[in-house]
Amino acid sequence: MSILKQHRCPSRSLTHIPTSPRLHLVARLTCSATTTTTKPKSSQNQLVIEPRLETKPDSITPIIPSVGPPLSNDPSLQSTWSHRAWVASGCTTLFFSLAKTVTGAADTHMWFEPIVAGYVGYVLADLLSGVYHWGIDNYGDATTPIFGSQIEGFQGHHKWPWTITRRQFANNLHALARSITLTVLPIEILCNDPVIQGFVTVCAGCIMFSQQFHAWSHGTKSRLPPLVVALQDAGVLVSRSQHSAHHRPPYNSNYCIVSGVCNEFLDKNKVFEALEMIIFFKLEVRPRSWSEPGAEWIEEMDEAQSQVTVH
Amino acid sequence: MASSLSLSSHTVASLFPSHTSKPQLSLSKSIPILTKSSQSQFHGLKFSHSSSLSIPRFSTFKTSISAKVNKGAVPPAFTLKDQDGKTVSLSKFKGKPVVVYFYPADETPGCTKQACAFRDSYEKFKKAGAEVIGISVDSAESHKNFAKKYRLPFTLLSDEGNKVRKEWGVPSDLFGTLPGRQTYVLDKKGVVQLIYNNQFQPEKHIDETLKILQSL
Repeated sequence: MSILKQHRCPSRSLTHIPTSPRLHLVARLTCSATTTTTKPKSSQNQLVIEPRLETKPDSITPIIPSVGPPLSNDPSLQSTWSHRAWVASGCTTLFFSLAKTVTGAADTHMWFEPIVAGYVGYVLADLLSGVYHWGIDNYGDATTPIFGSQIEGFQGHHKWPWTITRRQFANNLHALARSITLTVLPIEILCNDPVIQGFVTVCAGCIMFSQQFHAWSHGTKSRLPPLVVALQDAGVLVSRSQHSAHHRPPYNSNYCIVSGVCNEFLDKNKVFEALEMIIFFKLEVRPRSWSEPGAEWIEEMDEAQSQVTVH
Repeated sequence: MASSLSLSSHTVASLFPSHTSKPQLSLSKSIPILTKSSQSQFHGLKFSHSSSLSIPRFSTFKTSISAKVNKGAVPPAFTLKDQDGKTVSLSKFKGKPVVVYFYPADETPGCTKQACAFRDSYEKFKKAGAEVIGISVDSAESHKNFAKKYRLPFTLLSDEGNKVRKEWGVPSDLFGTLPGRQTYVLDKKGVVQLIYNNQFQPEKHIDETLKILQSL
C-alpha cells in the first residue's frame, strides 16, 4: 500500500513521488493586442496617428503538458481493423492448433502427455515473457531496429502504467497475435504430434494473451471480472500485487507477466542480475536498471488513482 | 492452483555456490575441481568438500583454476595504485589484520552493495584493528568516483590487467564470464585465515569477515 502526497493544481492532480522530478504547471496569460487610431490632434497642418497597443489578460489557460499520457479517446489506444485482423488470425491459429492437439490425443489415446506438455508450455510462456520484458526494459531505445517501437512503448508504460487498461483489446494484443500467427501456423501444418501441439498451443496462447493478463494486473479489483480476480488470487494469472512490485524503483524484479510463477525463482536467484553482469562484462553495456531512473521512467499517477494505492 | 517453482536450496546452491575456506575435511558434494579443502555455503547451508580431484555432482559454474593462495599461506605481495593515485603496498599493513576483497567492477549492483556494507560496518573493522582494501580492475579515477559517490572510507586499489587477481588465484564465475567476488582475511603476520567467495550475496562477505576477525 502506498500513500502519495497530492498537489492541487488547476487542471489535474499530481502525485509527488519523492525521488522523481515533478511536472510543473505554469499559468499562461493569453494576451490580446488591439490597435486604435487616435483622433488627430488639432493642428493646423499635421495629422498624427498614434497606434496604441493594449494588453489585456482575458483568461488564465491551464498548461497542458507538452508530453503527457494518451487520453482515453486517443487514437493510439484504439483498435484498428488491421489490429482486429491480426488478433483474429492469431486466435484462429490457436484454435486449429488446439483442435489438432485434441484430435491427435484422441486418435492416439494419449491425454496425459499433451496435458503435461501444455503445463510446461504455460510455465515456459511465463519465463519467456519475463526474459523478453527484462530485455526490452533494460536495453535499447526507440531507435533500436525491430524492437524500437516496443521499447518506446514499454518506457511509456512505466511512466503511465494505467493507460494499458484503456487500450482496446485488439490494439493491445495485435503485435503478439501477429508473431504467434507467423510462428505457430507452420508448426501446425508440419507437426502432427499431439504432445508438441499441446505444448505449442498453450505456450503460444499464453504468450499471445500475456498483454491482456498484463492489462488485468494493472486493473483495480472492483473493475475486473470476478473470474479474473479469482484467477489472479489463485496464482494462475499474474497478480496485481506481484506486478505492482515491478513498477517500483529500481524496476528490476517481477518481470514475468503470464502467471508470475517464475518470478520468485528468477528474483531469488538473481538470474537477471547474473545475465546483466555477463552482458556488462562481455559487451560493456549497462542495463537501464543499474542507473537511477530518468524522468521518462518515473511513474506519473493517474488522477483517478492519485490518492491511495491499495494492492 | 497456486503453483510456484521453488527448488530446494541444495539445487539452487549448485548454481551459484559460495565457498569458505576452513581447515576441515568432510564429505564430497558438488565441487570445483582442484579447489583445496573448503566449505561452500549458500543461504546458510554448509557443504564441505575434500581437496582431492572429484567429479562434480552438478555442473559447476566456476572456472577450474588452481587456488594459488590458500588458507594458511602468505599471499604474494602487491603494489597497486589507490583511488588517489598513490602507490599502496600490501606490506604496508603488516602488523594488523587486513581484509582484502576482490570484486568485479565499480558501479555494479553487487559491488555497490558490498562496498556500502563494508562502509556501514567500517567502525567494527576499525575496532578490530583491521584495514579494508577493495581490489578490482577499474582505474584509479573510477575508484575515486565510486568512493566519492558512496562515501567509502577505505582503500580501493586498481589491479591493472587483473594481475594480482590472477596471482592470488581468484576464481571466475559462470564459466569464466564474471570476475569472481572473493574476500581474504589476513592476520597480523600476513597469513590468510579466511577465504570467502560469494558472487550474488555480497553483504555476506562482511558478516563472515567480521566473524573471523573476532577470533584473530
